[in-house]
Amino acid sequence: MKVIIADDEELARHVLREYLERQAGIEIAAECSNGFEAVKAAAEHRPDVMFLDVQMPKLDGFEVLELIDSEIAVIFATAFDQYAMRAFEAAAVDYLLKPYSEDRFRTALRKVEQRKGEIRPASLPAELKAAARLPGEYLERIVVKDGTRVHVIPAGKLDYAEAQDDYIALRSEGKNWLKQQSIASLEAALNPKRFVRLHRGYLVNIERIARIEPNTKDTWIAVLNDGSKVPVSRGGYQRFNSLVGG
Amino acid sequence: MHPLLRSWKTFLLYLAAWAPLGLMFGLLISVAGPLTKSETATLIVPVIVVLAFACLSPWYMCRALPLRSTNPWRLFGQHALAAVVVAAGLLIAASAYVSSLSDVLPGLNRGYTRAAPVLGAMITMIYLLSVAMHYVVIEAQTSRRSELLAREAQLRALKAQVNPHFLFNSLNSISSLTAADPMRARQMCIQLADFLRTSLRLGERTLIPFSEEMELTRMYLSVEQVRFGGRLQMAIDIEPACDDCEVPALMIQPLVENAVKHGIALLEQGGEIRMLGRIVKDGLRFVIENPYDPLAPSSRSGIGLANVRQRLDARYGSAASLDVEASDDTYRVTVLVPAKGAQASESMVRDEKRAS
Repeated sequence: MKVIIADDEELARHVLREYLERQAGIEIAAECSNGFEAVKAAAEHRPDVMFLDVQMPKLDGFEVLELIDSEIAVIFATAFDQYAMRAFEAAAVDYLLKPYSEDRFRTALRKVEQRKGEIRPASLPAELKAAARLPGEYLERIVVKDGTRVHVIPAGKLDYAEAQDDYIALRSEGKNWLKQQSIASLEAALNPKRFVRLHRGYLVNIERIARIEPNTKDTWIAVLNDGSKVPVSRGGYQRFNSLVGG
Repeated sequence: MHPLLRSWKTFLLYLAAWAPLGLMFGLLISVAGPLTKSETATLIVPVIVVLAFACLSPWYMCRALPLRSTNPWRLFGQHALAAVVVAAGLLIAASAYVSSLSDVLPGLNRGYTRAAPVLGAMITMIYLLSVAMHYVVIEAQTSRRSELLAREAQLRALKAQVNPHFLFNSLNSISSLTAADPMRARQMCIQLADFLRTSLRLGERTLIPFSEEMELTRMYLSVEQVRFGGRLQMAIDIEPACDDCEVPALMIQPLVENAVKHGIALLEQGGEIRMLGRIVKDGLRFVIENPYDPLAPSSRSGIGLANVRQRLDARYGSAASLDVEASDDTYRVTVLVPAKGAQASESMVRDEKRAS
């Protein structure tokens, strides 16, 4: 079994290495000290399991999980117990609370073996995602993978997101980025006061809307500050109006 | 809203309390009149009911004129004026009421003229008595509230003492070291124990010398240095005159913890935490700077800062301050506390007082 360890603290990586070395048939493919490295190493080595710390420089553990292959089993290892719900929501295999015993660690590895071949669901229902988040806590940045590189889009710089089959196209600063996610789950994670679902396939940053023009009897067109146009459904028009209080 | 009007039960109880007062009123009036029993009752029952309501009104006036901060002459004048207005109003209404009944109860009309001055004096007295009662109630309420606030602050301070994540991460470092480097593991256990013991001891006190606070901060950093290794550097420059200044316990350590958690821990290469302590004109100024990654994954910052700010505000009001500046890569927190115990600053405070 191929394993990657990602933790910014050397001593924390050290415990894991010690436990892993005592297991038979384990190969430690890489040790990473920040989120970017972890994503890169995952693409390079295609491991079976990744041990992820939550708070790391560059990208946190949850962002890393979003960007790696969904066949890789993820085990979080952190001192913070308040992320357990989010880890469950992100379909992590296990959640180790530091400091953890070798027995507890073995249990986690066993879970990986039991779930071998299972693919992590790309995303859970939006309601569950919203429930996993603390009230008032919204996604402040979106991470996307551009080949082997990772790009970070702050929520305020996202113009709009457009649904495209299994992907969403994110428009930010004149560029388009593709990410494998449903538009509903992105909508659930972002602040509902700043982003409005104008159409089944469009989630728009409310600050970017220049004006809304009538199109047909029951549809409208939103013109954004950069001139691009987004279709608006009847429900979207109502949501927009209730948000701006018009 | 008036506390007595919050529930029907308390309000009815309040009205019932007026029954003996009404009886006393009636007795005096019937003598002063003189009036018969039925004449007295006809006059007194409506007067007492109206007065019971009128005596709720000081609640609003008492709150607008706080006992401590209002000039006593103004305080007395305003309430006396209100009492006279209430008495005059009631008397005018009562005389209109009595004269409307002159056909039915001619005796009442005659007796009322003689009883009116007694009635007016009593209304004024009762009203002023209710003003005094209202002040007692308000005072009891505020003291209960400030007691609650003090207890809450104590609890918060206790919670702020030891951050559980710091503890768990440190234990994880120890767990790691036990196999690789038992001697360092033991050393870290001792450092952690020293820090915990000192922070519990200091947490019981409200004001401590600045030097003790800095000692605790150093203990904290020595534990974190094991965890972060070379990533955590520090530079401490404290003027010796700061040492004896009295500062609220556990005021600096949370700021340093913030700098580690939101600054150093999210930088791959880590960085240097710089601390500066100086005695200035208004007291002790402490500056802490740390490098940070403005693009770092969001983590809730500011809770530790808000806690320190609240405690400073509760103790010193506007005499203390906590300012935050965040540039592209540096986060700086500046704290100013009025210095007690620093001889230089004390004489300066005295000079200032003389000047003003």
